Amino acid sequence: MEPLSWTGILAPLVTALWIAAAAAAALAALRFAAGFVLAPAEGQANADGTLTASRGPLEWLEQAAFLALSAVAGVVLIFVLGGAALGLEAGLIGGIFRRLIPVWIALGITLAGSYLLRGRLGLYGKLFDSVIGTAGLVLVLFWVFAAVFGTFDLIVTHNPLGQSGAMKNEVPGTPYTRMIGETAEGAYPVYLLGGDNLGRDVFSRMIAGSWTVVQIAPLATAFAFMVGITLGLPAAYFGGRLDTVLTFLANLILAFPVILLFYLLVTPEIVATGIPTYMAAVMFLFPILFLTILLNARYHTRPALRLGLLAAVIGASGWLYLSLVSERLGAVHILPDWLDLFDVPGGILVVFVSVVFVNAPTVFRIVRGIALDIKTRDYVAAAQTRGEGPWYIMLWEILPNARGPLIVDFCLRVGYTTILLGTLGFFGLGLPPESPDWGSTINDGRKLLAIYPHPALAPALALLSLVLGLNLLADGLREESLRD
Amino acid sequence: MTDQEPPILEIEDLSISFFTRDREIPAVMDFSCRVLPGEAMGLVGESGCGKSTVALGVMRDLGRSGRITGGRIRFKGRDMADLNDRALRDLRGRDIAMIYQEPMASLNPAMRVGKQLTEVPVIHEGIAESEARTRALEVLADVQLPDPERILRAYPHQLSGGQQQRIVIAMALMANPSLLILDEPTTALDVTVEAAVVDLVKDLGRKYGTSMLFISHNLGLVLETCDRICVMYSGEAVETGDIGDVFDRMRHPYTQALFRSIPLPGADKHAKPLVAIPGNFPLPHERPPGCNFGPRCDYFEAGRCDARAIPMRPVAGDDRHRSRCLRFDDIDWSRMALGGVDATRTDPGEVILRVEDLQKHYEVGASALFRGGETRVVKANESLTFDAREAETLAIVGESGCGKSTFAKVLLGLETATGGEVILDNRPIGDTPIQRRETATIADVQMVFQNPFDTLNPSMTIGRQIMRALEIFKVGGSEAARRERMLDLLDLVKLPREFADRMPRQLSGGQKQRVGIARAFAGGARIVVADEPVSALDVSVQAAVADLLMEIQRTQKTTLLFISHDLSIVRYLSDRVLVMYLGHVVEIGDTSDVFSPPYHPYTEALLSAVPIADTRVTKKSIVLEGDVPSAMDPPPGCPFQTRCHWKSQVPGDLCETKVPEMVRFGPEGRHQIKCHLTRETLEAMEPVITLAAE
Repeated sequence: MEPLSWTGILAPLVTALWIAAAAAAALAALRFAAGFVLAPAEGQANADGTLTASRGPLEWLEQAAFLALSAVAGVVLIFVLGGAALGLEAGLIGGIFRRLIPVWIALGITLAGSYLLRGRLGLYGKLFDSVIGTAGLVLVLFWVFAAVFGTFDLIVTHNPLGQSGAMKNEVPGTPYTRMIGETAEGAYPVYLLGGDNLGRDVFSRMIAGSWTVVQIAPLATAFAFMVGITLGLPAAYFGGRLDTVLTFLANLILAFPVILLFYLLVTPEIVATGIPTYMAAVMFLFPILFLTILLNARYHTRPALRLGLLAAVIGASGWLYLSLVSERLGAVHILPDWLDLFDVPGGILVVFVSVVFVNAPTVFRIVRGIALDIKTRDYVAAAQTRGEGPWYIMLWEILPNARGPLIVDFCLRVGYTTILLGTLGFFGLGLPPESPDWGSTINDGRKLLAIYPHPALAPALALLSLVLGLNLLADGLREESLRD
Repeated sequence: MTDQEPPILEIEDLSISFFTRDREIPAVMDFSCRVLPGEAMGLVGESGCGKSTVALGVMRDLGRSGRITGGRIRFKGRDMADLNDRALRDLRGRDIAMIYQEPMASLNPAMRVGKQLTEVPVIHEGIAESEARTRALEVLADVQLPDPERILRAYPHQLSGGQQQRIVIAMALMANPSLLILDEPTTALDVTVEAAVVDLVKDLGRKYGTSMLFISHNLGLVLETCDRICVMYSGEAVETGDIGDVFDRMRHPYTQALFRSIPLPGADKHAKPLVAIPGNFPLPHERPPGCNFGPRCDYFEAGRCDARAIPMRPVAGDDRHRSRCLRFDDIDWSRMALGGVDATRTDPGEVILRVEDLQKHYEVGASALFRGGETRVVKANESLTFDAREAETLAIVGESGCGKSTFAKVLLGLETATGGEVILDNRPIGDTPIQRRETATIADVQMVFQNPFDTLNPSMTIGRQIMRALEIFKVGGSEAARRERMLDLLDLVKLPREFADRMPRQLSGGQKQRVGIARAFAGGARIVVADEPVSALDVSVQAAVADLLMEIQRTQKTTLLFISHDLSIVRYLSDRVLVMYLGHVVEIGDTSDVFSPPYHPYTEALLSAVPIADTRVTKKSIVLEGDVPSAMDPPPGCPFQTRCHWKSQVPGDLCETKVPEMVRFGPEGRHQIKCHLTRETLEAMEPVITLAAE
């Protein structure tokens, strides 16, 4: 069997795509240049106070450029739909789009649903007014769905860890053989994005690797926020010594070289002393602390409700906490095995701890800054004059009104954490050596980059698009939250 | 000034709209006015009526979303629409200068004052730096700033608010403009400083012959500064004319309603209460057909007033007096229908709050790094002694920095007193911080805040916020009972019950302030500290909120401590007045006593500083020099001696060395003045405000 081409029977469309793209670029450049010479047509004011936009040459150029751009988008859409319909007939692109059908369906349902309900969804709904925000959302959702469906074996074509002697460094589209000369029955016929230096499927590894990121990055960032908020609010609210000490500690951690810190944390000798586990034990306490204080401050005036709520929350989160911290063979072994819900692989725990540890101080400083501003508001004074406790004021009067900047920062920080995870994987820190995560695969592919770029390129582009999506999402959110 | 003289500024049928994501919002419609050379034109209206948009339109500085959709603006006969960006840049700052509300925001904090001043002529006229500097010194002398050389070298933050505003005015005058636009130039300043700045603006207008467009919501201020006035409502000019004509022979129902809702001398909360304008200001995209003011107008005639757009019509007999009312010939304007007489007058009851020699000092470390050294003391409250009775309104008056807010904090328990006592129902509470106070005590003493946009938590529903207060004050046994009580409270402040589920951003300023009042009364408060509760509201809403406070006070027998610097509303609302200066009570007594001689010299100055929107009033003009001294380093002896006009009347150096004793007047010595002047001198003082006989 011949290696598959990229576009298959859709090849003629490539020419159309280039023509449309060239036209769009040329017209846009022309419009830009004409802007210096021609003046925009004046809006014509009518007697009833409305405006009629009249058309000048500039407006015509703009219209033409827009049409050309639409043509590009149309051709791309044909590629997607045609590919999904034709599968490998339409070449590699078709094959990839076909494999991703579950993602397209989920993406379509989510976006259409959110768009229809956007009026009732607050800030998330307003996101659809911004092109940049919508683009970011699409990119992020794409990777989330790809990761989730990837774990259900819906997308990956081959075992991400399975090696094939015949497929080493083969280019994208090479037909799959398990051994040289042996055709595999029932297996997916090609390596869509080629094979890496051990003959593993690059496409499957890229999809499988996204799960590591989608799992760890938001969760670790959320933990960093819990720690940062729980410490940042009192630092701002009480000020004085507490503020000085906490800010100093934050500066201390921020001043420490991040990569060195990671190397230290994952060194087997350090892991053996149990320091990362103890750090995890301390950091994972913060969410419980946070929830307890949050509910207690709100409901201490209604003792019956408070008792029930607190018992439920402390019970559930405490159990999760103990399961997380307690390890059969680790440094901390508190919970009997029959109560231990799950064990987190030691490497992942270390990665988690390091990410929370370096992110929390930055969140702390942001929260502290916003809280310093909000605590001067009259509604805070009003809460004080009716005798509210400090934690109620911090968590129910200040925190909800700080949410705008915090949500934006959360998105940016998830992106930052994604890169951090890539860095950790690249240096082979924390994660197991065969792991399909993007950082490790980029590092593996790097060695033969000059000859076979594809094994490194695929995960690198994946990382790029996810982080870009998160940054665009953050931008869109910021822009929309500033508009009224 | 004759009509033949070409006008400096001529606006014809101006319409300005802002374009948002959803719709076009017309901000100004069909606005015309003319400003002649040397004339000062006042532009009056409530917030959102488009008065600032007119000013920005004249400057052609409407931002990206604003656009002039109709009409033309002629400046010295030139159509502004014909000017390109470059010509406009030359015009701005040179021929037309603008002075904004917030002086600190108009000055570059990173540039020395001298540099900012000289920049103006250097850019616009290309003259040498040294020449510009000479002119800067002249102009600084003109705006009456002491020690111009030092001020030129200062950074803006080293100057007080009043001095900053003078710098901004000086900057505007540097290019000797033919038109000066002042957008609420004194709103951010204290009354006495405001009076000085207004005096200055008037004098400069006379000296330089500059035309002025004076934007303000304060009718009194406009009366003092302007020759002509234009009243705006919801994007339209509704009445324009000579200041005397409009004030004395108003021909538009909105102008009349405005005058009825501001406390003029003669208004009285019992006999002649204010009349609030019913209803709400229409949103720009929900304006009614026909007359914008129609739905709120007493003289509305269906089928006529709401039929079509209403043009301005000249009023016969007056010079350039025009009104946008179809019916002004039918209305009997002489009948000033004031509200019905409210007979229920509650007499003050027992004394429930006594303050004895209250003292509050803050220690400020000289340096955070090196402990020890000298700690400096801010003497916020030096000695406060007074009492307040049940169902009484006691106004606390004074400029910012006089210690009003510190006293409120001590009373509420957010701070503890350094010395002296605060006694509530015979229980001392001055030393008890709020954490150690009983729930009942906390619920008894509550506060209404100044800024309606800041008083409610933006992310909690109205109902939740009131119910939280009920929970904290242990009112109602169950969630359902509290909800019921919360709805009752909404009734009390006259808000519809549906508001319980609204978010604060869905409410107007006045409505938010009502929620703030409901929250303060959640625990059945007996003492309510109202910190300028109406000063941030629009004129027409002020009356309604003030009346609401009075009504609740009558039914609940609440003691109201009314902190304010607006003496007009104080005179209208309060039973007794306490005047504070630098942490001292300088005068206290019944309202009528404080507002008539004998005065404390400070009270006298305050009274003369308040602008009054009544042409019948003549005032003695007393302008205070300088600013309130720092509480860190108060003058020895009498606190007011540094700014006092009467100091020469006191023999020797008594004022510099000794804090005066209270001089008592009237029956039971209810009227007290802290001054070294002899009783005879004090009694011989002339009244500051005299009302010409009608």
